[in-house]
Amino acid sequence: MQRMAKFYILLVAILLVITACSSNNGGTTTTNNGTNTNSSQSETNSSSHNSSEKENVTITAWAWNVNVGALNAAAELYKAENPHVTLKVEDIGRLDVYDKLSTGLAAGGIGLPDIVLVEDDRIGGYVEAFPKGFLDLSAQGFEANEAVFPNFKLELAKVNGTYYAFPFDAGPAGMFYRTDIFADAGVNADSIETWDDYIEAGKLIKEKTGSFMAPLDKFNDDPTLRMMLNQLGIYYFDAEGNIDFLHPDFAVAMAKQKVMDDAGLIKDVIGWDGVVSATIDGSVATIPFGAWYYGTIVDQAKDLDGKWGVFRMPSFEKGENHSANLGGSSWMIPSTTKNTDEVYKFLNFFSTNDQVQQIAMTDYGLFPSLQTVYATEVFTSEVSFFGGQKIWELFANEMPTIKTPYYTNDYAIGLDEAIKAQADVFNGKAIDVALKEAAERLASRTDRQINAY
Amino acid sequence: MQSKMHVPYLFLTPALVLFSVFMIYPVIYSLFLSFQSSVQGEMVFVGLQNYEKLLSDTIFLKAVTNTFIILVIQVPMMLFIAIVLANALNSVKRFKALFRVSFFMPAVTSLVAYSIIFSIMLMGDGLLNQIIVATGLDAVPWLSHPWWAKMALILAMTWRWIGYNMIIYLAAIQNIDEALYEAASIDGAAKIKQFFYITIPQLKPVILFTAVLSTIGTLQLFDEPYTLTKGGPSDATLTLGMYIYQTGFRYYDFGYASTIAYVTVIAIGILTYIQFKVTGDE
Repeated sequence: MQRMAKFYILLVAILLVITACSSNNGGTTTTNNGTNTNSSQSETNSSSHNSSEKENVTITAWAWNVNVGALNAAAELYKAENPHVTLKVEDIGRLDVYDKLSTGLAAGGIGLPDIVLVEDDRIGGYVEAFPKGFLDLSAQGFEANEAVFPNFKLELAKVNGTYYAFPFDAGPAGMFYRTDIFADAGVNADSIETWDDYIEAGKLIKEKTGSFMAPLDKFNDDPTLRMMLNQLGIYYFDAEGNIDFLHPDFAVAMAKQKVMDDAGLIKDVIGWDGVVSATIDGSVATIPFGAWYYGTIVDQAKDLDGKWGVFRMPSFEKGENHSANLGGSSWMIPSTTKNTDEVYKFLNFFSTNDQVQQIAMTDYGLFPSLQTVYATEVFTSEVSFFGGQKIWELFANEMPTIKTPYYTNDYAIGLDEAIKAQADVFNGKAIDVALKEAAERLASRTDRQINAY
Repeated sequence: MQSKMHVPYLFLTPALVLFSVFMIYPVIYSLFLSFQSSVQGEMVFVGLQNYEKLLSDTIFLKAVTNTFIILVIQVPMMLFIAIVLANALNSVKRFKALFRVSFFMPAVTSLVAYSIIFSIMLMGDGLLNQIIVATGLDAVPWLSHPWWAKMALILAMTWRWIGYNMIIYLAAIQNIDEALYEAASIDGAAKIKQFFYITIPQLKPVILFTAVLSTIGTLQLFDEPYTLTKGGPSDATLTLGMYIYQTGFRYYDFGYASTIAYVTVIAIGILTYIQFKVTGDE
């Protein structure tokens, strides 16, 4: 019995040690394994000392893609003035960031970084689902920055009047096009003013070169539709949060897309990878997207240097609004951060510093929302990859006239229903029927009112 | 001698602990969750509200319909083909190992990898359509038409699981007494008759086993629709498993997601009971 007792005690002790170790590691899964327990202890140390002591601070951040590079570049500049601050960025895929963020928040704030990149359309949803999950930036004095950001970005960074995010990049829309394919078909990009002009040009291009006009994941995403809605000044919801699916302009946008599809101009691709492949292999002549697509083109289509151009998104009627926004993201601070002041200072620097924002744009294609940057030289420079065109000027000119897309906190559900309506229309359903059904499903899922027209 | 009685419990303890923490606790906790809803980020008790919402939820109905259509078509078809294949494989003399390996391989491939490959093959101008067009028929809108998307799912699932079930049947067939077949041959029964009157009845317990497993697996179907069609054109391939995941992790409505999960579990339980009764102990 003595030996059995010892055995039991040993077993229980081992189990306890394992569980104790795992709860320590729980809060620092983002850092490397070797220094797990150490770094979690040093973080608690630095938070108990005040900023007057300048303890070494490590700020962790989650971002995807080119944004990681922008963060690192900014961190280097910041370190020159603030040598005690080190930035550790984790490059995680966009959807994975959201998965990890959601799971971490749902678990009560475990394993979260100090800084996380969140696209504007998700901010409302996250703050509503996890109201205590993010740092109140208004309390930190964010209002001082209001003058330097465009109105629509400020509105997207606020939830119920409180700021929760630092605006970062915007997605002023443009039509990226292959100048060589246009030349082969004899189409002059300057002559395209309206969507109807675009469709006519598309038919000519298809006939002469065989290329589709634009790629789209027809049954799983609706970026083109969203840009069209924004151009027309509407969105899934209106400013009061009511469902706007039945707005006459919504049907106008949907109809225009259907006309494009019926003319055989849309290439059905699978997901983001499909869009990028179509961009590289020339099976499409144009890609309507936000300015951030510059980064992908330059990175993935290196041997097509000089064969690209950008023109404004076509408008619906001659002389009407061309501007639209697609995408754009902001930085949020999870409330579990241990270095509140330092992180806020760093993000404030990042978001309002002209030099940082310029680097983000020229090196990484991230179009800044910081309005003071538009006055700098880079914005009137010629971009060689785009045949010397002043593309940044084109995008900057759009910014003042972009209307606010009202995402609301039910954006994810609105997106789901809009995509379903789009899929139904592509499969032959009448537009008004598809939109009405989608509006009703959306209303029952979100308890919102449908605007009648 | 007394001390040895503790040994089995010792071996069981780690598994029991893990099971309790990762299986029993979440199952019980989600039962509580199904009666709660999120109000301003806090989970509040709302009684049967979630269950009422479920009754009038058209998307839930769609998910149930989709899952059942797939279940009713895919499971019997796959199991039948698996038995036929197992029977055929049993009488194959040469290259036995090659056949077995090649049929079983799909079952060990990564779910996500094969879904991605299938989605590429089933594209408008993908491999499958190229073959179909070459024979003179119209290209099939595999991933864009509500019906064809379901067929695409069934195709992918059958490809994956047929080998798994086939191996189970093969093992069972090899246990059938040769004497039965000999007696039937002497009586003049053709091979087909032998198949339907000897093989299948003898396999009854195994068929029940695979049917129950396949039903449970199909009712929980998530991986294939999630990767292949993302719920299909306009929710045409939205399955119960996907709907639960979406509700919980995309829309953060964990209370409602737990409700759907529990209703699904009850449905699976009922179906399994029915299957046991119909084919079961005689």
